[in-house]
Parts: sequence; structure tokens; C-alpha cells
Amino acid sequence: MTDIICPLCGKLNPPDLDECIYCQAPLKTGGFVAPSEDEDKISPILTSSEKPGEAENLVPEPKASSDLEQNIPDWLKQTEANFLDQSEAKPKETSPDELSEQIDSILTPSSAPPNPQDNAIDEEWLASLLDEAGVGMPEPPSLQEETPDETQEASLEEQEPEIYQEGSEAEVEGAAEEELALPTQPSEKPEWLKNLEASSKIKLEGELFGSEPVQYEAVVNETPEEKAQEQPPLPEWIAKPGSVEPPPSPEEPETPIAPAEIPNWLEALRPTDAVSPTGPVEDLSGADIVTAGPLAGLRGVISAHPSAIRAQKPPTYSIKLRVSDEQQARLEMMEELLADEEKPMPLPSQPIITTRNIFRLIVAVVLLLPMAWMIISGGKRTSAPQPGNIPGVVDFTQRIQLLPSGVPVLIAFDYEAGFSGELNIAITNVLTQLMNKSIYLTLVATTPSGPALAESMIKNASLSMARTPGFYSNYANLGYIPGGTMGLLGLATSPRNLLPYSLQIESVWAEAPLNAIGSIKDFSAVILITNDPDTARIWIEQIGPQLQEAGTPLLIVTSSQAEPLIRPYYESTPAQVQGMIAGLVGGVAYGRTVGNIQQNGIWDAFSVGITVSVLIILIGSIANVVVKSLPASKKKEN
Amino acid sequence: MLDRINQLADPIGAIIGFLLTIMVLSYIIGDNALFRLAIHIFIGVASGYAAVLILYNVIWFQVLIPVIQIFTTGKMDGLVAYALRVVPAVLLGIWMLTKASPRLARWGTPVLAFLAGVGAATVVAGAVRGTIFPQVGASVNLLNTQSAPAEISNLVGWFINGLIVLLGTVATLIYFQFGIQRQEEGVPVQRSVFMEYISTVGQGFIVVTLGVLFTGVYIAALTALIDRISFLWETILRLANI
Repeated sequence: MTDIICPLCGKLNPPDLDECIYCQAPLKTGGFVAPSEDEDKISPILTSSEKPGEAENLVPEPKASSDLEQNIPDWLKQTEANFLDQSEAKPKETSPDELSEQIDSILTPSSAPPNPQDNAIDEEWLASLLDEAGVGMPEPPSLQEETPDETQEASLEEQEPEIYQEGSEAEVEGAAEEELALPTQPSEKPEWLKNLEASSKIKLEGELFGSEPVQYEAVVNETPEEKAQEQPPLPEWIAKPGSVEPPPSPEEPETPIAPAEIPNWLEALRPTDAVSPTGPVEDLSGADIVTAGPLAGLRGVISAHPSAIRAQKPPTYSIKLRVSDEQQARLEMMEELLADEEKPMPLPSQPIITTRNIFRLIVAVVLLLPMAWMIISGGKRTSAPQPGNIPGVVDFTQRIQLLPSGVPVLIAFDYEAGFSGELNIAITNVLTQLMNKSIYLTLVATTPSGPALAESMIKNASLSMARTPGFYSNYANLGYIPGGTMGLLGLATSPRNLLPYSLQIESVWAEAPLNAIGSIKDFSAVILITNDPDTARIWIEQIGPQLQEAGTPLLIVTSSQAEPLIRPYYESTPAQVQGMIAGLVGGVAYGRTVGNIQQNGIWDAFSVGITVSVLIILIGSIANVVVKSLPASKKKEN
Repeated sequence: MLDRINQLADPIGAIIGFLLTIMVLSYIIGDNALFRLAIHIFIGVASGYAAVLILYNVIWFQVLIPVIQIFTTGKMDGLVAYALRVVPAVLLGIWMLTKASPRLARWGTPVLAFLAGVGAATVVAGAVRGTIFPQVGASVNLLNTQSAPAEISNLVGWFINGLIVLLGTVATLIYFQFGIQRQEEGVPVQRSVFMEYISTVGQGFIVVTLGVLFTGVYIAALTALIDRISFLWETILRLANI
């Protein structure tokens, strides 16, 4: 079988296909018949019915197949013959420059003036064709009106079909040469090339259209009327019989094909300006020749080499502003201002001795000296407050006294170290009482400083117990509870999971007495030490309900600043806080109930400090009223 | 050697505390370099202590030590419970670290939303159960005769106390009640005269409350000052005895 070379992609296709299997291009109209293994000596242009011997015999004795072939003008034949001669004379691979010159020789019209005899023959030939078609010969433009360029364009107009045809053949040959890639000796031509040359010679001698019956077989079977109905109307220059009309098959009777008739109305509609058959030919003599890639040798085309489309950095353009001298001066002034702003300016030195500083110093001295004297002297001039007069202290003491010996008690150290002076007395007394009852202390904290404060207070309380040698060890410091409110809720529900180990890396929950603790309500009491009313409220809200259900007391040791906000929880009915010690007053009162009145003059200093503070506030207020009521100050205000 | 260091730890700590206390008290004469230095030292030490505490007390004791204990003791039955309890928290904690990077901050938003949602639910539930319902009930029961004392002398005080507390609570709440019926256009918006009087009474209670709060803060500060003076004197005595 004979394969067909696709005219578009150049690949081989089976002969029974109408379209290329690779690019779906139509094969019947423009396909190139490739030599098969059985028919490798047969020219692909020849029909399948022809034998190689017959093809060779056709070369020296071509016969005229139709009248149209006989009517091919001599200049067209001469051009094709020249091209074939050049191809035969240069079988070797041409350089890009040579290719370019060949293409230029084809594309560029000859500089020599056309032979007038040839022009006359052409005109006669064209007139005969038009007469056969029934169309009158158009009036040739007068030579006086034509410029030399127009004349040249007219000659190009006549040469273009030929150029196209020759170019198509060259492309097909080139594609076949590349795709088949037959290994040939440099001195020998391949068989298919010889056949191609032979066919070209046949075409030169009048067998041009008779060598491609396969491609035109379907077309020949159609009647001229059907062809005229199927084909769209073509421009006049395309409709010339010598350039487009397919050759008749040699197997069929040679019937002359009448040229197509174009109605006058269609002729009138033809857009002569838009579809110009002869566009201006660009002078490509000065253009560059492509030296690499598939377009090597062509002149004036865009190279397909990757370097031709390499991305380049766009040029940079200066964006300098045109600044006048005045603007430059203003700019410098602005820069100076901004530079001055960045320079650190020393603050104006205030005099040390001012009225405000003197007044502040006087207040400090008046307040500090009495308190310092009370501490230095260590006097106990002021009696400790009565526990019954301090709300919450009695209830707190009773709750502690009601605790059985050895039971677990949870103590939360949630106060800041700055409030140690206010809370230390109460905490020490409470811890001492618990230690005297051998209570198992479980220490936790929701503030970062809590664990350290807890250890410190345990140590201080142990030292204050003269009768107990060494430090108290019946406790477990479980450390810091992260998570704030959510951490407290976790402590209320599952303290084992929240704090599984003590700071001594001991699993205290597996040993007595914490092995009986499942939730926080299982403790015998919960003591909260805090200086923050919000912390106390969170403990009451998250822990309190569970403790109330189990009847476990919630006791609070707090600061004086938090007492007003915690007291409603203690005063409410039923009480949400069962006992409360607030501030230094509550601590001293609680110490009195437990018999520990070691205060080192702090209570006296506190009493003196309160008295001095009241005096300072009163004297200051009266002085302020007096000074403001003086006539001189009124004048100043006015 | 270690015992000697332990013996010297308290005196050295006392001396450092003494100096820092003096530096802070120097603010009496105005802002100065010693006071600022003491503040900077306090901020640095507090930050470092908080970081060490978190690493030591949370990461080490509550995350790593349980795993080590499980593998050393061979009690593998607790491993599943531990994993179910700790691994989600650790993953969420690591996920939360994306908030430290401005580029990845939005990836930590779900964890933050989860944390905010759980925190809000916990706070609201606790407030309802621990503050609102119990405190409203306590206010209603202020004059409940079943909880009244049996003695006549205490009964009068109990009644007066309950009446004042009830009046203060109601008057203070009315002071914060600014809802007024819609008036015609151009008519000045004003509460009724009765509500204005009650509101004024409530304002008086608020002033008293603020005075009490200020007194509490002042007493706390005064007590802290006394504690520092006492500390300085004790330190001087200890150094003098040495």
C-alpha cells in the first residue's frame, strides 16, 4: 500500500484515511503519497496503477494530457525549468545564505524588463482563455497611466500562482526529506528524489497535472455543475484556469473543463480593495537571514530559535523630577526640620526644691516618722482589735477549729507578693493553727508567684511553731494551675487530672489522705488567700456551688481593698463564703483568737499611720478651703 | 558547701531586698534613676520567673513527668487516659503558637476562637450560678422573718441593716436605669421625679461605696509601707548582729 504524507504535519498516514491521524488535516486534497516498501521505486506523484517502468518511459516522452496544460505560458514553464535545473545542479545541502538567495530569486521579480514578445503571448493566451469562458477581455490599462511600480506589480501578479505552486512543491519535498529521513549516500540520490525529479520533468513538459490522479480523483468524478455549486465563488485572479483548475485523470477521457462563470452581480460585489490579489511586496533584501531553527535560510521572518524570544529585562527610564531652586530650598528646609525632630531633646531640668516637692516631702516625713518610731520602739501601746468586731473572723476561727485532725485542706495562694505585709500575719496564724491540728495541706495557685509564696509561708509558719522541730512536711505543693477560670473549673471537677504530681514529683493522689479525693468537694475545707476581688469572685463562682452542695466551707483570707466586694458573698443568706479574714485588722484579730499576738509593733504603726493619715487629709482639706477663700487667691483666679 | 550557701542565701536576699526597697522608696523625692532601675529589675525578674514557672510547672510537671512516670513504672493502662487528656491540649497549644508570627497569625484564629468560646461559656455559667442567682436571692431574703434573730435588740438592728441594704441595692440599680419612655419630638427627655429622687439616693450609696473602696486601697498601701519599714529595720538589726 502507499502511504500518504500529510501536507500539514508531514507524517505518514494510511492511504484509506481522509484525514491525518495526527493533525486531522485533509489528506485527499493535499496529501503527498509516500513511497511504500513495495513501491519504493515508484514516484509518489505517479498513480498507483502506473508501474515503475512506465514512469521511466514517461519521462522522455511526455504527452499532453489536456488543453489547459498545453496552454501554460512559456514564462511559467521557463521559471519552473530554471528552478528544477538549480535543484538538480545543487543536490548537496545548501547553506542558509544560498537558500535565502534562492528564495529571494523566486520571490523578487526580475529586474530585467519583461520581454514584450512574452507579454504579447501571455495576453493572447489569457484572451483565449477568457474567450473560452465567455468573458470578454478586460481593457488593458494604458501604458501611459501605469507607473513602473504598477507594471512591476502586474508582473508579480502573473508570477504569484507559479511561485505558490513551486513553493508548495519545495515545502512538500523538504517535509518528505525530513520526515522520511532516509539514509542516503552523499554521492547518490535517493530513489524517491529521482522519481520526484522525473515527475518534475514530466510537469515541465506538459504532464504537470496528470501525475496526481489520486488527489484529484474525487474532484474529477464530479460534474462541473456540481463543482460550481459546491465551491464558493472565487476571486477572478484565483479563477484563472491555468492556476487552479485541477488536471483531468489520465484514466478518464480528457474532456475540456469549461471555466467558471462568475455572474455579473457577484463580480460587482467583489471587494476589490479588501481582497487585493497583489499586495505590496516588501523589500527584504536588507533583512536578516535566519541562521538556525526550522526557518533557517529565510530572510525577513521572525526566527523560531528560542534566543529570539528570550525574555529581556525592560529598559529602565529615569523618573527624575525637575525641581526648581525654590523647591530645592524648601526641600532642604523640610529635611532640616525633620532631622531636628529626630534629635533627642533634653527635658528642661526642673528644680529639685519646688513647692510640690516640699509638700510631698513634708507629708512623707509626717507619715513615716511616727510609723518608723513605733516599729523601732516595738511598743504594744495599742490593743489588738476584738475578733467579734471584725466580720468573718469568728466564723473563720470556728470553721478551722471544727476541722478534724489530719484531714486534707486545700489552700490556694493567689495573692501578689506586694501584699505580703498585709496578709502575712493572717496567713501565718492560719497555717499555724492548721499545723497544730496536723492538717494535710494541699497547696495550689493560679498566680505565677503563688507556689513560691506558698513554700515561703510554710517555712515561716514552721519556724513560728517553737514546739515542732524542723519544717512541717505534711503538705503537698501541687504548683501552678494554668488556664485561669477554665483551670479552676478543671480543678473543681477533676483535680487528679489537672495536677497529677506535686513539685517534688510525687504522685500524692495515690497516697493518703488524697487518695480519697475525687473532686474538690471532698476536701474538708478550701481556704483562698487573695488580694484581688475578681480572683475571689471567680473562685466563688466556679468552686462555690460544688462546695455548697457538699457542705464544705469556703474560707477567704483577703486584702482590705478586696473586702468590700467579697463581703456580700459572706453576708448573703445562705452564705457563699463561710469565713473571712480581711487585711491586717482581720489578721491581728484572728491572731488574738488563737493566742498569737506577735506583731513587732506593726499594729501600733498601723494605728498611728491611720491616725496621721486622717489628720493629714483633714488638715489638708481645711488648708485648701482656707487658702481658696483668701482674697489674694480669689484675685488670682479672677 | 551547699549548707553554707543556704545559710548565706537569706542574708544575701535580705540585703538585695533592702537595697531594692530603698531604691523604690526614693520615689518620695521624685522620679529618679534608682527608682527606674528598681522597676526595670522587677519587670525583668518577674518575666523571667513567669517563663521558668510555665516551663517547669506546666510543661515539665504536667506534660512530661506523667509520661516518664508511666514508662518507668510500667503502668501502661494510664497511657491512653493521659494521651486523651494531654495530647489535645498540647496540640492546641502548639497551634496557638502560630499567633506569634504575623504571617501565620490567622492560622491560630480557630484555636483562639475555641479558647474564647470555652472561656466565655465558663464565665457566664459561673456568674449565673455563683453570683446572679445567689445574690438576687440573698437580697430578696434580707427581710425574711424566718432568718430574723430571736432577740429583740438584735431584731431591730437586723431590720435596720436589712432595710438599708435593700434600699441601697434598689436605689443603686435605679441610678443605672436610663430607659425612658419615648417622648414627642422636641420634648426634653427626663425621668420622672420619683425616679430622680431614688436615683439620687442611689448615687449617695455609690459615693459611700467608692469611699469604702478607696479606704480599702489606702489601708492596703499603708500596710505595705509599714511592712517595708519593718523589713528595713529588721534587716538593719540582722546586719548589726552579724
